[in-house]
Amino acid sequence: MINIKDIRDTARDMLAKGEVRTVIGYRRGSRGMPAEPAFITSPEQADELIWDPTCYHNLSLYLVHDRKISAHLQKNSGLPIAIVAKGCDARSIVVLMQEHYFKREDVYIIGVSCEGTGVLDERKLASHLNGVQPTLAAFDGDDYVFTTAEGEKRLPAREVMADRCLECRIPFPKEHNLVFGDDKTGRQLAEPFAALTKFEEQGNSERWDIWSHHFDRCMRCFACRSVCPMCYCDECVVDSITFPVTQQTSAAEKADRVRWIERSAMRSENITYLMTRAMHLAGRCTDCGECDRACPVNIPIRMLNNKMEREAREKFGYEPGASIGGPSLVASFLDNDPGDFIR
Amino acid sequence: MSEQQNYEPRVVAFLCKWCSSAGSDLAGVSRIQYPPNATPITVPCTGAVSPMYILSAFNKGADGVLVSGCHIGDCHYIEGNFLARRKMQLIMQLLEFIGVEPNRFRMSWVSAAEGAKFAQVITDFVDDLKPLGPQEKLKKADRI
Amino acid sequence: MSKKRTGVFVCHCGTNIAATVDVAKVAKEMAGEDSVAFTQEYVYMCSEPGQESVVQAIKDNKLDSVVVTCCSPNLHEKTFRDNAKRAGINNFTCEIANIREQCSWVHKDKAKGTEKAIKISRSVVRRVSRNQPLESIAVNVTRRAMVIGGGIAGIQAALDIANAGVEVVLVEKQATIGGRMLQLSETFPTLDCSQCVLSPKMVEVKRHPNVKLLTYSEVQELAGSVGNFRVKILKKPTFVDPDKCKLCDECTVVCPVVVPNEYELNLSARRAIYIPYAQAIPASFTLDEEACLGLNPVVCGKCKDVCEADAINYDMRPETVTEDVGAIVVATGFDLYDQANMPEMGGGKVEDVLDGLQFERLCSASGATGGHILRPSDHKEPKNVVFIQCVGSRDPAKHCAYCSKICCMYTAKHAQLYKHHVPDGRAYVFYIDIRSGGKGYEEFVQRTMEDNDTLYLRGRVSRLYRHNGKVRVLGTDTLSGQNVEIDADMVVLALAMVPSKGTTEIAKVLKIGRDKDGFLAEAHPKLRPVESVTGGIYLAGAAQAPKDIPETVSQAGAAAAKVIALLSQATLSRPPLIAKVRPSHCTGCGMCVDACPFLAIRLENGKAIVNEALCEGCGSCSATCLRAAIDVKNVTQLQIFEMIEACLA
Ligand SMILES: Cc1cc2nc3c(=O)[nH]c(=O)nc-3n(C[C@H](O)[C@H](O)[C@H](O)COP(=O)(O)OP(=O)(O)OC[C@H]3O[C@@H](n4cnc5c(N)ncnc54)[C@H](O)[C@@H]3O)c2cc1C
Ligand code: SF4
Ligand code: SF4
Ligand code: SF4
Ligand code: SF4
Ligand code: SF4
Repeated sequence: MINIKDIRDTARDMLAKGEVRTVIGYRRGSRGMPAEPAFITSPEQADELIWDPTCYHNLSLYLVHDRKISAHLQKNSGLPIAIVAKGCDARSIVVLMQEHYFKREDVYIIGVSCEGTGVLDERKLASHLNGVQPTLAAFDGDDYVFTTAEGEKRLPAREVMADRCLECRIPFPKEHNLVFGDDKTGRQLAEPFAALTKFEEQGNSERWDIWSHHFDRCMRCFACRSVCPMCYCDECVVDSITFPVTQQTSAAEKADRVRWIERSAMRSENITYLMTRAMHLAGRCTDCGECDRACPVNIPIRMLNNKMEREAREKFGYEPGASIGGPSLVASFLDNDPGDFIR
Repeated sequence: MSEQQNYEPRVVAFLCKWCSSAGSDLAGVSRIQYPPNATPITVPCTGAVSPMYILSAFNKGADGVLVSGCHIGDCHYIEGNFLARRKMQLIMQLLEFIGVEPNRFRMSWVSAAEGAKFAQVITDFVDDLKPLGPQEKLKKADRI
Repeated sequence: MSKKRTGVFVCHCGTNIAATVDVAKVAKEMAGEDSVAFTQEYVYMCSEPGQESVVQAIKDNKLDSVVVTCCSPNLHEKTFRDNAKRAGINNFTCEIANIREQCSWVHKDKAKGTEKAIKISRSVVRRVSRNQPLESIAVNVTRRAMVIGGGIAGIQAALDIANAGVEVVLVEKQATIGGRMLQLSETFPTLDCSQCVLSPKMVEVKRHPNVKLLTYSEVQELAGSVGNFRVKILKKPTFVDPDKCKLCDECTVVCPVVVPNEYELNLSARRAIYIPYAQAIPASFTLDEEACLGLNPVVCGKCKDVCEADAINYDMRPETVTEDVGAIVVATGFDLYDQANMPEMGGGKVEDVLDGLQFERLCSASGATGGHILRPSDHKEPKNVVFIQCVGSRDPAKHCAYCSKICCMYTAKHAQLYKHHVPDGRAYVFYIDIRSGGKGYEEFVQRTMEDNDTLYLRGRVSRLYRHNGKVRVLGTDTLSGQNVEIDADMVVLALAMVPSKGTTEIAKVLKIGRDKDGFLAEAHPKLRPVESVTGGIYLAGAAQAPKDIPETVSQAGAAAAKVIALLSQATLSRPPLIAKVRPSHCTGCGMCVDACPFLAIRLENGKAIVNEALCEGCGSCSATCLRAAIDVKNVTQLQIFEMIEACLA
């Protein structure tokens, strides 16, 4: 059981001692129940921090933002940043460090164990509450307790928990400076990749029917990319709006960027974008679920990433975010990687 | 059906310079006939084939994409084909996952000495592509 | 970038291209390309007038880049790049579109062939429109060579190189140099004594001031590239100091361990401490660590006690030596096809069925029987011997598809040698064809048949087995159509020559290609027969294909000449087609660093940096980088993208 007081005390203490610059955590949101990211810079603010089932954001995104801002301002960021991180979030941080995006000493990881209760999937909750708006969510043992205008509503966590949390293999931030909550690794609520496996049982053309429908609906708002801590590229290869221009950038370079896809949100272009993104996240996505959550048109992006994750695990024995030191999935190989598909 | 028979798949074949491209040269020198459907693009190594190339070829309307290189252990650059094997496995799985026919993407090892094999790989690929008809799934729609 | 002025030169190659490809149409299509300023077709672009016209056209039309659509770039890329240079433009703006090997030779339908040729040509035109002028990178050359394998091929190559004043390291896996030739008795077609011709050369190797001999050593690792290789070699301990060893042979007398003697093809036994042959170079005993009771005075120590020269040292350890060389000759030789694969020939389990090399040892004065042909089972002189040719060769269904080339000859030799040793004996030879091309070879075979009264039977042997103390050979004589049954005292199998185990190993270590049969692959079967595909690595001897001694020696000489020519240059130019980072896009993730097989990339201040001396231009980095922040020059992602477009236009 996590006591929020512990997290607040830690934050207050570290800020008071000047050990960290900021504490990134969660606080009460301004639009009802969901929590929102909090950037605590003074000890007094520490009491704003909360921990409840709506803390689904992967805050490591803000470490990326921070690094981008300091790079832009060309100033050294100085003191480390403390961050509240769940298992999946902490693994994202590991991948970022594996990719040298920042150093271990730049981050102070305040780990929180999901203890097997995971975080909420608001879409699932909606179907349980029949239109009633909850104002608050809280953990209570294996349940979530929601405060609504019609009184308290208690639901078993597993009924409204995000799929990825149900399937989560390690609901514990192994990489941490400090950790709260018990390591309940092994307390598997659903088979890993259960949703994926179910989907894959369908035939080729059924899968295409479903996916083509989704691909048609993508409007390339790029919310999935914006919310993903792994999509930290200065310019995304499939969309060159963000072309980074430096003093050394020549006119030729600007003119010669590859336009892999066209701007318009046609199905073919959406596919190329989403497939590229899935390839780019192979071995890097830690299944934090943010892209899936952020998509305004409910495209099951997680499924693509999940597919790659399973391939990596089953074919290459690779777990994203397992170690800071090792090489990335696609930058390495094993002598006995399967090759029977090759003629 | 007759339309199906007349249909000629368009294949982009990424060949590594040292083995498969040399293998295709040998097929030529040996005058081994194979269907003209595959247009070769020679790259230094299969390791140089970005998954983007494959997606892009399909996006531009390729009916099939072939990546061919040196046998494992024979890569001119030592490890390039090992890296490729992993990447190509991933892109292949992903394509299949969204419902693209598995036979649209193919990888092969063809050494510089395997002219006949090169011809066979192309022949088989084209044979397997024909029943599938044109690839419309990933292809950019013509401008309206 | 300002627009290119490309010239496109379409070759007819006589009718080689023109018969299947409408060359005029290709030229016309290319003329419509944005970057193309000039097109021309010609019957033989690579001929003198063809080349001249390219040079002239470049000058006359102020072209800055060239596409020649013709045969494989392996043949004429260099020719036309040189022409570009001659015409005053950068040679790396010239590219070849292969419309012969990859098109006209493999298709018959002219319309489709033309269409494909246009696609190929257009994609290369697009590529060239973005080619950068580049300068070759000059690298210094290490003026030293290495020869791997100390058979006759390696010995000859090493001596030729050394005699040209170039220092050479000769690495041999066994305890002595000499290879297979040292196991032969007399050699066809002259029947001169093999060891008598070989030994002086072996001694010369040992004494030559420019040769550094490393026996009992194996190459473990190769780094670098043509002109500058770094080779790691494991020197196994022999436990005997060759400089002290007096060859007194006292040690073998006391050694209690007896093991089969592999140098005698297991026809006799040796001790744990032994000398392979009397002629061994280095002339020293070797202690076989595996056979020895323990390299430990407490356990045995007899040899060390008896050695007056104090040459034996149990404390020797394996040593790793590193040698820097500019070029390498691989001469790792052959083995015989394993009899175990041939159950129809007894699978190696039928007594008195020998392979050719064992027979050589029986004939050799230095062999186990002192030069007397005695059959192993009872040490009696065999009175009739069946020689079987093509065992394992020319059998694509079950064994090796190829012809081992020399077996006809050495079988004829064996029959003659047998008759010389056993004048009242009878020799039978089963053959499929007799292939005796070579100076004096046909005459040699004729002599075997006529003067030596050997019965040649055309046909295959179907089975052999022990029967009444003899080997019963069942076969057919396809000329008479009769079944043949011979009860032989001894059978000699002319087993196929296969690449030696060491050849297979070295190909892996050096990353040089092998052909479909496992022999080392030459860069071009006709024009570059002694070069491997990897620059600076050359091939000699039976590791490349089955061959006899004269051919081996010629190839060794040719390889040596290539090495000498290479090393006589002060600097080499490396192709500048190497990786280049776009710092603005690089996030310093290090994926390229991990992917690069040549350790050519490092991170500095959060950006990837390519070491130009190490990068081989493989492109693994570029396909791995998520951000397209690293590209190989003149094969950039943008170029490939546009080539894909052209292929599908
Ligand atoms: C039965 C028989 C009879 C023959 N009779 C004749 C004849 O009469 N006339 C004739 O012209 N030819 C004859 N030949 C052919 C002749 O033996 C070959 O042409 C010749 O030996 C080839 O020499 P080589 O140096 O290429 O190979 P090899 O003699 O096989 O020498 C290769 C050497 O390389 C060493 N080596 C292997 N791997 C490694 C490694 N990884 N690292 C370091 N060293 C290594 C081996 O130990 C060996 O010393 C005969 C062959 C056979 C089988
Ligand atoms: S998948 Fe969803 S979030 Fe991503 S770009 Fe498309 S619509 Fe936007
Ligand atoms: S791809 Fe989606 S689930 Fe994966 S790390 Fe990015 S935001 Fe999280
Ligand atoms: S999709 Fe790929 S290139 Fe685009 S931002 Fe994400 S990781 Fe970078
Ligand atoms: S992989 Fe790309 S982004 Fe990463 S270090 Fe290399 S060049 Fe830079
Ligand atoms: S092209 Fe890239 S991966 Fe290949 S050798 Fe050069 S730097 Fe290394």
